[in-house]
Amino acid sequence: MISGLSSLITSGNGAGLIWIMIVIPVILAFLALIIPKTAYSGRATVLVLATVINFIAAIAIFCTKETTMLMPWAGFEMNLAFRIYSFSGFTVLLIAVFALLVAIYSIAFMRNRNGSGQFFFYFLLTVALANGAVLANNFVVMLFFWEGLLVTLFGFLLINQHSKPKTAVKALIISGIADLLLMLGIAFTVFQTGSLSMDAISGLSVSGMGLFGYLCLMLGALGKAGAMPFHSWIPDAAQDAPLPFMPFLPGSLEKFLGIYLMVRVSYEFYQLVPASGMSIAVMIIGAVTILLAGAMALIQKDMKRLLAYQEISQVGFIVLGVGTALPVGLIGAVFHMLNHATYKSCLFMTAGSVEYRTGTTDMSKLGGLMKVMPVTGICFVIASLAICGVPGFSGFFSKELIFDAALETNWIFYAIAVFGVFLIAASFLKMGQAVFFGKVKAPNVSMLKEAPPAMQLPVVILAIGCIVFGVCNFIPLHLIQPIFGSIIGNHDFSGWPHSATLVIISCVILLIAVLNHIYGYKKTGAALSAVDHIHYAPVLHSIYNGAEKRYTDPYSWLMVVVKIYSYICFGIDRAINWFYDVLLVKIVSFVSSRLRMANNGSPSRYMVWSFSGIAFIIMLFIALM
Amino acid sequence: MEGQGIIFVCIFVPLIGAFLLPIVGRVMPRLRNILALLFVITAFVTAVIALPQALSGTPILWQMKLPLGFTMGFFADGLAVFMAMTSSLVASIIVFYSFGYIEHYPNQNEYYMMVVLFIGSMMGLVYSTNLLLIYLFWEISAICCWRLIGFYRGKDIVLRADKAFLMTVGGALLMLIGFISVYMQTGTFNLLEMQGNTITTAAMVLILFGILSKSATLPLHTWLPDAGVAPSPVTSLLHAAVLVKIGVYVFARLFLVNFQLDPVWDTVVPVIAGVSALVSAGAAMVETDIKRIIAYSTISQLGFIFLGLSCGTMVGAAGGLLYILMHSLAKGGLFLCAGIVEHSTHTKDINKMGGLAKRLPITAVAFALCAFSVMGIPPFGGFFAKYMVIYGAATSASPWLAVMFIIGAVMTIIYLLRVFIKVFFGELTHPDIKEGSWEMVSSVAILGVLSLLGGIFINLPSYVTTFIIESLLNL
Repeated sequence: MISGLSSLITSGNGAGLIWIMIVIPVILAFLALIIPKTAYSGRATVLVLATVINFIAAIAIFCTKETTMLMPWAGFEMNLAFRIYSFSGFTVLLIAVFALLVAIYSIAFMRNRNGSGQFFFYFLLTVALANGAVLANNFVVMLFFWEGLLVTLFGFLLINQHSKPKTAVKALIISGIADLLLMLGIAFTVFQTGSLSMDAISGLSVSGMGLFGYLCLMLGALGKAGAMPFHSWIPDAAQDAPLPFMPFLPGSLEKFLGIYLMVRVSYEFYQLVPASGMSIAVMIIGAVTILLAGAMALIQKDMKRLLAYQEISQVGFIVLGVGTALPVGLIGAVFHMLNHATYKSCLFMTAGSVEYRTGTTDMSKLGGLMKVMPVTGICFVIASLAICGVPGFSGFFSKELIFDAALETNWIFYAIAVFGVFLIAASFLKMGQAVFFGKVKAPNVSMLKEAPPAMQLPVVILAIGCIVFGVCNFIPLHLIQPIFGSIIGNHDFSGWPHSATLVIISCVILLIAVLNHIYGYKKTGAALSAVDHIHYAPVLHSIYNGAEKRYTDPYSWLMVVVKIYSYICFGIDRAINWFYDVLLVKIVSFVSSRLRMANNGSPSRYMVWSFSGIAFIIMLFIALM
Repeated sequence: MEGQGIIFVCIFVPLIGAFLLPIVGRVMPRLRNILALLFVITAFVTAVIALPQALSGTPILWQMKLPLGFTMGFFADGLAVFMAMTSSLVASIIVFYSFGYIEHYPNQNEYYMMVVLFIGSMMGLVYSTNLLLIYLFWEISAICCWRLIGFYRGKDIVLRADKAFLMTVGGALLMLIGFISVYMQTGTFNLLEMQGNTITTAAMVLILFGILSKSATLPLHTWLPDAGVAPSPVTSLLHAAVLVKIGVYVFARLFLVNFQLDPVWDTVVPVIAGVSALVSAGAAMVETDIKRIIAYSTISQLGFIFLGLSCGTMVGAAGGLLYILMHSLAKGGLFLCAGIVEHSTHTKDINKMGGLAKRLPITAVAFALCAFSVMGIPPFGGFFAKYMVIYGAATSASPWLAVMFIIGAVMTIIYLLRVFIKVFFGELTHPDIKEGSWEMVSSVAILGVLSLLGGIFINLPSYVTTFIIESLLNL
């Protein structure tokens, strides 16, 4: 089998590669499910083998020149069509890299835990479905793989949560709504061109039917990427799901998929015009996401929840970049997507290592871990510097590109984005100091040691990525820029940002965040409460209180609406039933009782009936004459 | 023409065989069960045999002249064979399931006779070329349905069986008047001879009453949730295989193929369907009886089928047919799962259940597979059906219908998840129950797996539905 595979890969047969990327993970997924719990190393081997094969195939696909394949499938043009080209190849490669890194991490993390078989099963299915969604060249095929991820998402969140399935339900409902909107968007888009083939659609205008089509497609993509208002299941999932789920799906794969589609919708299928109404609308979604999720991240007391809110906030930056419809925004967004996946996966994994050793991610129970887990701690710091956008690290360069694009559209968006950087930096200073510095504190201090090597390896690789993508940002940018050659022309965005003013403003913001942290720390004496002066500020306090009670969660409101609506419908239904069960019976029995009174056996009454009948007939006859 | 025997076997083996079963049952109950299954499988196998010829473009036709210029006959075109296959496939699994379910109840002779007769009347109905014959089989099915709903004989239960009978027969009588007015207009009851005629609005409305009452659509639907008092295989049969599908089939046969309609009906029928889908989805959210919830779900999904068939686009119509198949498989599975749950816990109230996935793992997985299919989530079969219906609506004369049904689809996800989670997850309420008998568990497993395969190998069913729609609409 291996030799057959290698010959397929070296021959550069695109169609064969596509099948490898979709079918092999599925087969191996079932294998991982079947292997009994006692043979854990067997399960682990299957997982690594599958992700390695996938990785090799992805490299081969990335190197393959443009290929399309088509097979008849469901009739009415719903052909099983795939297309390898620069963007899909690039995205598939990203998926493969992160799948491999998270797989290595999960093997160590899931050992001795219940549900590892299920976890690996859903993991590999997710890889296959994500590959299919990216490579699809037919809208229905894309939707097939894309929506299929709902099943694995639901499965992931049910692992070990049989008695508390709330988060799984919430995730499935929210993502299901997004996917149904995507379905509607596809229907409206396809209607305009009459073709389901994705490469046959380009440059539609965002007006009339196109407005609805664009809007629904974008909402579907935003839902996958986890932007507001489709975000609220992610912090809950951070607490409930097995930890490797977070770097895997919300951390990287869902972002790749969501942003892949967002970019294709805005720059390929539709022609989003810079500063048009729809462009501003998308940017507003991005800005609101940055602001609100950043503000929520600030006050979290749990590492995983804090990281989850920050992750949502980072999506806001990417959406902001895409929404500008400018080349610099596009490159910034795609570059930021890569950087985001790198540092956010790294951060989630370090949080996982902390949880693995201490058994908790509650920051009030942790402290000083840098002394006992130096590698994890250093990687955490590097990734934090990258996410805060400290000059020199990866996040800095992609954020500057997005700032550039935002400023070009309107200074308000720029101001919000910069304020978002302040929120992120403040929450990281708080988390970093509380968990990794100060006195060593954990539920089990005496047993603490560094995480196992299999968990350290991916963390270190990703941390190195945070530095390399910053210092040598031409490496990723020279991969990304050719994909969008037709949009950006020969412009090269690598190297140091061209606007010194913007860089200085960013640095000042970071400085303010540090000063704010020192002020809060001095005031309360504890790193964890360093932002309490913001949290408990007069008006903010009540807003935060409401948010903690989920008054700001769109899902809670949706459920209220559904409930009211359901009771109204139930009332209508019961009223209809009452008509049949009660009213109709009453009418029938009333009529029949009257008729019975008429037939009481008295001859004189029958005489009256007979004569009046005859009279009626005669009158009718006369009238007709 | 060759192969006319096939149709006769398909119709009359279950129809006549049904009356043999009580006699056999007096002697050997086991043999009666096997014979019942055999009769239904015969119907399925013969339908499959008839398929190639139906798809070849020269369908099997048998006609007989009767006095007074009447004709009667059977006609196995793609639509008829497709419906026959769908019904008899699901019905076979349901009969097999009954072996385990009905084992401990009295009146089994009547049960098997009525079930097989029910399926025989369905077979007769789909192949009929004559409106009167359709009416005849329609009423046979109503009688079977009446006896089967009242199977447990409680006073309240019999009342509900009466309700179902009265509502469907009431609708059928109105439909009969409609048929007669069609006869007055065209001078024939023969479907093949009246193709392409335009019928009056009055006749259309009367026939629609019959169809909507049989296919439980607002406001003629309330008998269907009430029929949940029947044994679970019977409800499964009503919802998935036979009864409600009769109305949908006749709709497709008459209004998709035979009659030209005023374009206004392309909007009126979808709107009725949409209101029905949305209201019943809301009711499903409130109900706490597991079988009533699934019943409201059927009413809601029937709305999608009607939408597909009536929105006036080819993709929509093909989607509607595909929906019939996928919904039959999945909904049949859901009811059979509900039957296992009800058998094990002795309650139908979902608030009194929880955590059953630990004790009924296969049932839980089968329920999940079927529920995903009804929700329209890939890779399950329901996905394609739902997409095609929505796409059909979006490209019809009134695209806003698609938005209405997207809301219905969201509601479907919410209420089915609610049942699934309440019953199978949370705190375990019945620690000492176990899975149903092997016949029951394997039946639900088969239906769950078929729902999945139906999506992955969509090319097979969709080839048939595409062919049907293309050949019917290009007449």
